[in-house]
Amino acid sequence: MRGCGDEEDAEAETDGAAAVGDSGGRDSSGDEAQLSALLEDSAEDLYEHAPCGYLSTLLDGRILKVNTTLLDWLGYERDDLLGRRYFSDLLTVGGRLYHETHFAPLLRMQGEVSGIALELKAADGSRLPVLVTSTVRTGEDGQPLLIRTTLFDARDRRAYETELLRARKEAERERERLQRLAATLQKTLLPPILADVPGLNVSAYYHIASADEVGGDFYDLFPLAEGTWGLFLGDVCGKGAAAAAVTSLARYTLRAAAVYNPDPVAVLGNLNTVLNHEYNGADPRFCTVIFGLLTPDPDPDRGGFHITLAGGGHPPALLMRADGTTDYLPTPGGQLIGVLPDAHIATTAVRLSPGDTLLLHTDGLTEAHVSAGLDSEDRYGEDRYGDDALLDFARTLAPTTASDTVDAIRDLLDTFGSGVDDDTAVLAIHVPRPPSEEQQ
Amino acid sequence: MTQHLTLRTRTAPAGAVIELAGELDHHSAPEVRAALPGLDLRPGQQLVLDLGGVTFCDSSGLTVLIAARNHALAAGGGIALAAVPDPVSRIFRIVGLDQVFPVHPTVRAAEAAWRPTAS
Repeated sequence: MRGCGDEEDAEAETDGAAAVGDSGGRDSSGDEAQLSALLEDSAEDLYEHAPCGYLSTLLDGRILKVNTTLLDWLGYERDDLLGRRYFSDLLTVGGRLYHETHFAPLLRMQGEVSGIALELKAADGSRLPVLVTSTVRTGEDGQPLLIRTTLFDARDRRAYETELLRARKEAERERERLQRLAATLQKTLLPPILADVPGLNVSAYYHIASADEVGGDFYDLFPLAEGTWGLFLGDVCGKGAAAAAVTSLARYTLRAAAVYNPDPVAVLGNLNTVLNHEYNGADPRFCTVIFGLLTPDPDPDRGGFHITLAGGGHPPALLMRADGTTDYLPTPGGQLIGVLPDAHIATTAVRLSPGDTLLLHTDGLTEAHVSAGLDSEDRYGEDRYGDDALLDFARTLAPTTASDTVDAIRDLLDTFGSGVDDDTAVLAIHVPRPPSEEQQ
Repeated sequence: MTQHLTLRTRTAPAGAVIELAGELDHHSAPEVRAALPGLDLRPGQQLVLDLGGVTFCDSSGLTVLIAARNHALAAGGGIALAAVPDPVSRIFRIVGLDQVFPVHPTVRAAEAAWRPTAS
């Protein structure tokens, strides 16, 4: 939109330029006259007051000609520069270096260089970011004679870039904050240390698949009344804050329920009731979990533990016997916890003798991608690690200990790398052999 | 590595049918969930989920199947699964959902087994 003031100014100039156009006609033809007067302005004026800086130098960079625009930007008089200064004198130290090593060689090679960002140093020491385009002008014999340079004020662009950079740094800081928050939240969902059970070797590991999102795996091992211990390991569906809330609820409910009634079926039944009341409908939340009740064998000479495991739709525990025999301990018929009003809980009981190791895991391990590069079209989950592979792996470990098992799983997860796209928790318990047997 | 999920819905005399193919996981489950409210499902009808083309199903996939069941039950209808691939059946057995969802070898079998329950 044009301002009224502009028109008045233009009209005032018309008198002098009247000879150029059809003077004296209607107002509109007067406007046209002014316009054409401006358009046919002298090439000299166009050069001097162009909306960009112009500079002509010898091949060595000595300044031969400079327009008023550039002089105004830099705060120099024409005589300060002509014949005395070189183009590189107008640049900052960094700019000079870049000019020397990149700009000038490129210009010599290609005959032109365009859109290079450099910084000019003005007479008062202030800096002016510019975009520089140069071409080599040749004489009639094709020999290079001089360099013509155009400089565009890039302050707005620089401000934009600075703003972009600032926004990016801000985003990075936010992301770090989020990751710290996720890591902290994750820690609150896991026990800082597992209870020390006399006569039992315990080890656990939590593998975080994404630093940005809290996962939903959980485990714990804790004392109950009369020399008994409770343990659990589970997996809440989904990820993120919503899943973490369910994880937290599940963990505390399990611990409280076990104190109230340590019967594994009752513990999971109570958890099911709590989750089912809290979450149903269009956004169901469930978890799969194994709860175990550990009691030492009453005969101290035999050693070992009895464990009753209740399965709420969770992948079965793996039992690695002292003699190397290894198999899953399924709890068939157990149902996932939280979405069915009367979820069925299935149990299995087993004696852990000296030398035996029991491993609980979440499916982040068995659902890890193991052959990312291979063609896996349409064959169900064939690039996933799988239950069978885990069983084979455990067979190579047995007989083993809790810490060796967890170390081996940790190494295994490392070999999968980014193929592990869900969090993975493992908890292993092992009954050490008596020292006398170990020496044999 | 990540395969897309394709979802097609159609309306049969027995009720809506959702055909799923591809990976039913954390990334694709919201798409299925979003399709539920738009289903044409009247009381007494049954929603059939055709899983014949499903190549992977994780806990998020199970969640959305449960959400579909809740949706069908809330609409006064039933739900059935058709053409469940073996590995999905295996997961269903582990989590005990095999006792919750009626399963049929084909969509046709699921529809043949359907009996209207509304008066």
